[in-house]
Order: sequence, then structure tokens, then C-alpha cells
Amino acid sequence: MSSESSAALEISGLSAGYGRVEVLRDIDLTVARGEMVTLIGANGAGKSTLLKAVVGLVAPSAGSVRLFGADVTRMSPERAVREGLALVPEGRMLFGPMSVEENLRLGAHTRSAEEFSAERDRVFELFPVLSERRGQSAATLSGGEQQMLAVGRALMAQPRMLLLDEPSLGLAPRIIAEIFAALETLRSRGITILLVEQDARLALKHADRGYVMRTGSIALHGAADELLANDDIRLIYLGAWRGEGE
Amino acid sequence: MLGRPDIRLVVIVAVALVAVFALPMLTSERYLLRVFTFVGVNVIIITGMALLFGYAGQVSLGHAAFYGIGAYASAFAVINLGWPWPAGVALAIVLTAAGGFLLALPSLRLKGHYLAMATLGFGEIMKVAFVEARPVTGGPDGLSGIPYPAIGPFEFDTAGLAYWLVWGVAAVALLLAYNVVRSRAGRAMRALHGSELGATACGIDITGIKVRVFVISASLAGLAGALYAHVVGFVSPSTFSLHVSVLLVAMAVLGGTGSLAGPVIATVLLTLIPYSDAVIPGLSRSALETIQEWQEDIYGLTIIAVMLFVPGGIGSLIRRMAPGRGEAR
Repeated sequence: MSSESSAALEISGLSAGYGRVEVLRDIDLTVARGEMVTLIGANGAGKSTLLKAVVGLVAPSAGSVRLFGADVTRMSPERAVREGLALVPEGRMLFGPMSVEENLRLGAHTRSAEEFSAERDRVFELFPVLSERRGQSAATLSGGEQQMLAVGRALMAQPRMLLLDEPSLGLAPRIIAEIFAALETLRSRGITILLVEQDARLALKHADRGYVMRTGSIALHGAADELLANDDIRLIYLGAWRGEGE
Repeated sequence: MLGRPDIRLVVIVAVALVAVFALPMLTSERYLLRVFTFVGVNVIIITGMALLFGYAGQVSLGHAAFYGIGAYASAFAVINLGWPWPAGVALAIVLTAAGGFLLALPSLRLKGHYLAMATLGFGEIMKVAFVEARPVTGGPDGLSGIPYPAIGPFEFDTAGLAYWLVWGVAAVALLLAYNVVRSRAGRAMRALHGSELGATACGIDITGIKVRVFVISASLAGLAGALYAHVVGFVSPSTFSLHVSVLLVAMAVLGGTGSLAGPVIATVLLTLIPYSDAVIPGLSRSALETIQEWQEDIYGLTIIAVMLFVPGGIGSLIRRMAPGRGEAR
């Protein structure tokens, strides 16, 4: 469906792993500009590894990754950030002893100092609670506030494409709704989003399209509402899934 | 972007500087000046350790080796090659910078205890090298008759001059470190300490930062070694043993993370322990001997106590007393 020029992210034939253990096999995945795409699947299916391979934290053994038409395969993570790709890592990975403001400053590490204030104010507009907590250390924030800060920190790099790894993990439904509302706002600003989620129902409700991963490969993909209506998906990922992972 | 330094900080630093540099004018007691010259040498090393451990969060149990490499390199260059002392210092810095680069390589793959073990191994290998490389190091007997530091015809040949030289270098090292920690690079170093993955996600080149901070801290230790060898006039392998590496870690831990003032204060305190008689008038000989005998235990207990009760070290106490102070933010 996507020619090279229209795709924000184009992964083709990607394989990767840790040492001799192959985790990803021959992955094809495309995210069009301005799209929100979700990647769902059970624990250990390889979702996080796929994100890591995209940003260069895991070296692919085969295949290619293109970002807005440019080849970024095997590019270092710091280069990927400069190319407009920002990752909100699983578990947030904030700088605990540092203040909210300092965390945001570090998010803007690849940007010039002059751009900082304006971008920070945009983040505060998106998550007003961060503005109230700006002098507080990240470790003292609630889980939801920390997740907002993790998203805000990634936005400080002014990415064209945002990758999120399990942003809903361990959060109350009300907070999750707030974060997903913010993601919708970001999409409306033209930021392309690839979202890894365990909560498949939630992710598919917000996303345009979805990919389902199973043991290192893409098992299925399609429009989000089709996947939500798909009987197999409902059974495996939306029903039984709710209880416990595989 | 960074704002001006706090006025109180400026005052405290100015008073400390005056006090430190006035000491040789207030006393002519050689022993006291010698002891505080050692303190200055250790302050130079700890400046690098504060960056490495306190800011970038990298553990090294091998920094005594750099101290030794610097001392032997400069002594050898001056005695056997007839180089002037500044050239010996330059050699010490170049060699230790190269060594720091090599030691940074395991840090790219190893963390925490594993990195500590790798650096410990490096320190022990170098200690063996100091003993075995007789033609350069003089073996277990060491090198003696090392000339005083001299710049051109000017010799730092009194206790007071040596003291000023060492503290002058220490002040410059601290000033440079202060500028580093307040810069973007310093913030990135602290980020590395907080979360490597988080730092990577922010586009921080963590490999580059680790390599640079290892190189800086190693060459500061080398510089301190080049000062020590010529001020004391004698070096032997025991001066650069694991014991010294552990002492350096004790100073860094007691000093606390994310602080320069904390580690400096810790260094003054811990360096003075075996020389308590220099600062406590009338301390009996037997009391001093007891302190010296228990020295290692005091260091060990200090590390344990700090970890348990004040995990942030002296640096966190300073921050608590003067919230909002410039240094760590």
C-alpha cells in the first residue's frame, strides 16, 4: 500500500536477535506518514526487540529499516534520534534523581539550547501536571506522571516518528485514557506513531492499523477495526489474553 | 542556559582558596605542609574519580594503577632520559590517557560489579608490572633520588613551594571539572548514571561519554602521580596498590554522587586519618599507631556506614544544608 516516499517507517525482511538466539524472523512492517500503528502480541513475541532493532539498540542480522525514505539500518541510536526517531522505552527509564525539567532538558540533548523553552512549554501544554511538578525529582512522581514525563522527554527531541513501548503498563484506566488522548493529539500534529501494547483492545481502539506478532514473526495485520472484529484475535488476544500472558 | 554561580558558592570557594594557599605562610612546619601536599595530590585524583564515579556512575578499582603509571613515567623520563619535568608530566598524561581509553573498552560492555572486577584486574596486572619491569620501575625497591619538580630553572624545592604547586594544579583541575559538570556533557554524564537506556533514547552518545570520562579521570590520576613522584622523591609499587584504589573508592563514596565539593571534603578527611598527629596537637604516639593500624578497617567501615546511613554521601548533606545550590544542578 505504500510507496517508499509515503512511508514514515518501512521495515522489510528484518531478522535480529541476541547472540545466537534469533528473536525476530523476516519482519515486514510499514507505517505511513501520520498514521498510528500498533504492534500487539503476547509476552516474549519479540515486540520490544523489534522496537530496539528499529532504533539501533539491537543489530539486525538481515533486512532493512527505512525512515522517511532514508536507510537507517544499523544506525546508532543517537543518530536515529537526530534523524527524527524517538523511543519511549519500556519501564520509562527516567533519570530518577533529576528534576522533571532536567529530564526534559536531557530529552532535548540533540537540540540547540535556544529551542528548549518553546518545546518544553509544548510538553507542559500537553501534560499540564508536569508543569506543576517541574522542580520535583522524577523518582517522586506517580506512575502516570512518570509515563507522561517519559513521553514528554521523547518529544523534546522533536521527533517526526514516536515509538512507544508499553505506555499503559501498570497504570490506572483514567491515566491510560489521558495518555492515549495525548497520543491522539500528537497524531493530529502530524507525528507518526508506532505503539507496542499488551492491552490489545485499548491499542486497537486508538490505532489506525495493527500488526500481531507471534514468536518473532508477524502473524497477521490489518485495519484496527477489522482486527478488533476478528474472531481469532478476540479469542487469543482480547479474551484469554486479559487474564495472563502465555 | 546555566545561570550564574550562586553567590554563596563563590564566597565559600574564595575563602577556601585563600585558606588553602595561605597555609605555607602561616606555618613553617614541614610535616604539616607535607601532609597537606598529599591531600592536594589525592584531591587531583579524586576530581577525576568524582567525574567517573559520582557523575557518570562508572566504578573503577584500578585507578591506583594510573597514579603509578604517571609517577613512574615522569620519574623515568626525568632520571633516565634527562627530560625536563614538564615533559615528564606530559608523558605521564599521554600514557595514562591511553590507558584510560583501554580501560574504557570493558566499560562499554560491563556494568556494576563486573566492571569493578575488570578494573580490579587491570590494577593488579599493573601492580605486577611495576614490580617486574625493573629497568623502568626499579622493581620492588622502587626509584629513589627523583629530582624536585622544576619548570625551566625554577625548582619547587621547599615544602611550601611543593605545596603551592600541587594545590595550584588541584585548583585548576577542580575548576575544569566544575565547568564540565555544569555543561551539557556533565548533564549527559549524570543521565548515564540514571539510566543508560534512557540516555540512549535521548540521543546521548553513551560510548563517547564513557570513553571521555575514563580518559579524563585516568589522566588526572597520572598527573597526580607525576607530581607525587617528584615532590616525595621516591616511588615504590606499594604506593600504587589495590589499597590505594580502595581508598579512592572510599573517598568517592563518602563524598557522594553528583558532587565535587563532597568528594574533596571526603578526601581531606580520609587522607588525614593516618596523619592525625599533624592536625590534632598532642595526639599520643600510641593513639596514632592504633589509628594507623586500623586504617584499612576505618576505610572499610566508612564505606559500609555511608552506604547504610547516608547513601548520598557528604554531597547530599551539602545539598540538604544549602538547597538550590549551583553545583549539582
